[in-house]
Amino acid sequence: MGRQAGFIISKILELLATLFLVSLLTFVAFSVIPGDTAQVILGPDASQAQLDALRSELGLDRPMIVQYLSWLGGLFTFNLGKSAAFGTPVAGLIAERLPVTIGMSIIALIFVIVISYPLAILSARRPGKTLDQIFSVMGHILFAIPPFALSLIIITIASALFSGFRAGQYFAPSDNFGGFVGCLILPSFCIALPKIAMTFKYMRSSIIEQNSSEYVKNAKGHGLSDLRILVKHVLPNSNVSSITVISIVLSDILAGSLIVEQVFNLPGLGRLLLAGIARRDFPLLSGMVFYIAFITVLLYFAADILGSIADPRIRLK
Amino acid sequence: MKDPRSKSFYIAGFILLGIVLASFILSLIWTPYDPNATDPASKLMAPCAEHIFGTDNFGRDTFSRVMFASKYTIFISFAGVAIALLLGLLTGLPAGYYGGWTDRGIMLLSNSVMCFPGILLALVAVAVAGPSMFNVVWALGLVFAPTFARVTRVGTMEIKQRDYIMHAQVMKIPSPRIMALHILPNLVGTLLPATVIGLANMTLFESGMSYLGLGVQPPDASFGKLLADAQAYMTRAPWLIIFPALMLIIYILGLYFVSEGIRVRTQKGGV
Repeated sequence: MGRQAGFIISKILELLATLFLVSLLTFVAFSVIPGDTAQVILGPDASQAQLDALRSELGLDRPMIVQYLSWLGGLFTFNLGKSAAFGTPVAGLIAERLPVTIGMSIIALIFVIVISYPLAILSARRPGKTLDQIFSVMGHILFAIPPFALSLIIITIASALFSGFRAGQYFAPSDNFGGFVGCLILPSFCIALPKIAMTFKYMRSSIIEQNSSEYVKNAKGHGLSDLRILVKHVLPNSNVSSITVISIVLSDILAGSLIVEQVFNLPGLGRLLLAGIARRDFPLLSGMVFYIAFITVLLYFAADILGSIADPRIRLK
Repeated sequence: MKDPRSKSFYIAGFILLGIVLASFILSLIWTPYDPNATDPASKLMAPCAEHIFGTDNFGRDTFSRVMFASKYTIFISFAGVAIALLLGLLTGLPAGYYGGWTDRGIMLLSNSVMCFPGILLALVAVAVAGPSMFNVVWALGLVFAPTFARVTRVGTMEIKQRDYIMHAQVMKIPSPRIMALHILPNLVGTLLPATVIGLANMTLFESGMSYLGLGVQPPDASFGKLLADAQAYMTRAPWLIIFPALMLIIYILGLYFVSEGIRVRTQKGGV
C-alpha cells in the first residue's frame, strides 16, 4: 500500500505542476498577443481617458505578475470577471453551455464502448478470418472520416430520404430532457464513429495478445470455457491498456464536439468559443482555454491512477 | 519477412492519393470552368452533362471548384507538416542528444503544449492572428510540432548509443554536425510514418477550421471551405456536400492507408 500511496502522491504533484504550467502558458499567450479588452468593451471610438479609466477598473494597469495571480485565484473560485463581448460573468457563460458539451461527450463515450468492445471481441475470436478482415477494413475507413463531414453527409442523405427529417433542433435539458438527449444522439454518434474505430483497433490487438499468452493456454488446458476465460481473465487484462485509450478518446471527443455542434447548431462550448473568437473576447477565451485544458489534464491523471489500480506493475516502474 | 497486407495498403493508399493528386496537378493547367466564375443563369444545377458535379448558388462549377480546392488542402497539409517537422527536429534532436536539463526543459514545454486540445490551440491562434491561409499553416505547424519533437527525441536517444556516434564524439566532431550528418539521416525511417500520419491529421484539422470559417478565406477554397459554403444549400443541392466531402475523405484515407502500409511493413510479427 505504501507504494500505491507514493505513486498517487507523485502523480498529484505532477498534476499540480502541469496545471500551473498550463495556466501560466494560457495567461502569457493572452497577454503578449495584440488586443485590448478595454478597447473591445468600449469600441473603436473610445477616448484615451475612457480607455485608461476602464483599464484601471479592470485591473489591466497592474503589473503582469499581480494580474496573473488574481487570474489564477479566479480560476479556482470560478470568478474570471466579465466577458468583454457579453458583459456577463465568464464562469456563468461557460456553465450555461456545459450541458450540451458534456451530454454529447457522455453519449459519444457510451457509443464507443457499447459498439467497439463487442466488435473487438468478435474480431479477435478468429483473427485474419473474413469477419475480422471486414471489421478491420471498416475500422480503417471510419477512422479517416472527419466527424463534421460525416455529419453533413448523414444530414444530406437523411433529408433526401425522409422529408420530415430536420437537423438543428435543440431542447433545453430543463424543459424537455428526453428531447435534449434525442437531439444529441446523432451528433454524438458522428463524433463517436472514428473513435469507435480507434478503440476497436486497440481492444482487438490487446485481446489477441492476451489470447496467445501462457495463462490463457493454461486456463484452456484446465478446461475452462472460452466465455469464462474471456470474461474473467482476458477482458480485465485488456481493460488495463484500454483505460489509457479511453482517456485519449474522451479528450478527442471533447475537442471534436467543438466543431460538430456547429453542424447541428447546438449551443455548446464550441459556439461560445466561436463567439468569443469573433469578438476578440480575451477574458472569455482565456477562461475557456484553461478549463478545457484542465479537463484534458484531469482525464490523463485519472487514467494514470485507474491504470495503477488495475495493474500494480505500473506503480513499480 | 514482408507482410502481404502492407502491399494492399500501399496499393489502396496510392490509388486514393492519386485521385486527389491528379486533380491537383491538372488544376494547375486546366479546369473545365473558371472555378471562381459566377454564372447567374446556371445556379444550383444538379449534376448533368455540362456540369458533372453540378453548380453552386453562384452558378460556379462544382467539379472545377473541387479541383481548385484540392490545391489548398494539399498545400496546407504539406506546408504545416514541414513547419512541424522542422520545429520538431530543432527541439527533439538537442533534447535527445544532450539529455539532462536541455531535455527536461524542452520536454516540459512540449508536454504542456500537448495538454491543450490541438484544435482549440489552433483555433485560438488563428483567431488572434486573423484568419488567413498563412496563419492556419503556422498555427497547425506549432500545434503538431510537439508530436514530431517526441518522435525525434526518442529516435535520437536510441541512435546516440551506437558505436559510430561515440567514435564521432571521440574524434571531436562538433555536436551540431553529428546531429545533422550522422543522426538525422538515420531518423528518416522513424519520421516517415509520423510525417504521413501528420499530413492526414493536419488535413482533418484544417478542414475543420476552414469549415468554421477560421481557415482558408475566399476567393481561395479548400474541401472544408467548400463544405462550409454548401451547408446552407444542403437539402436543395446535396451534390455540393457529397463531392467535396468524398474528396476530403479520399485524401485522408489515402494517407492513412500509406502510413498503415509503412507501419505493417516495419512492424515485426505484429497482429
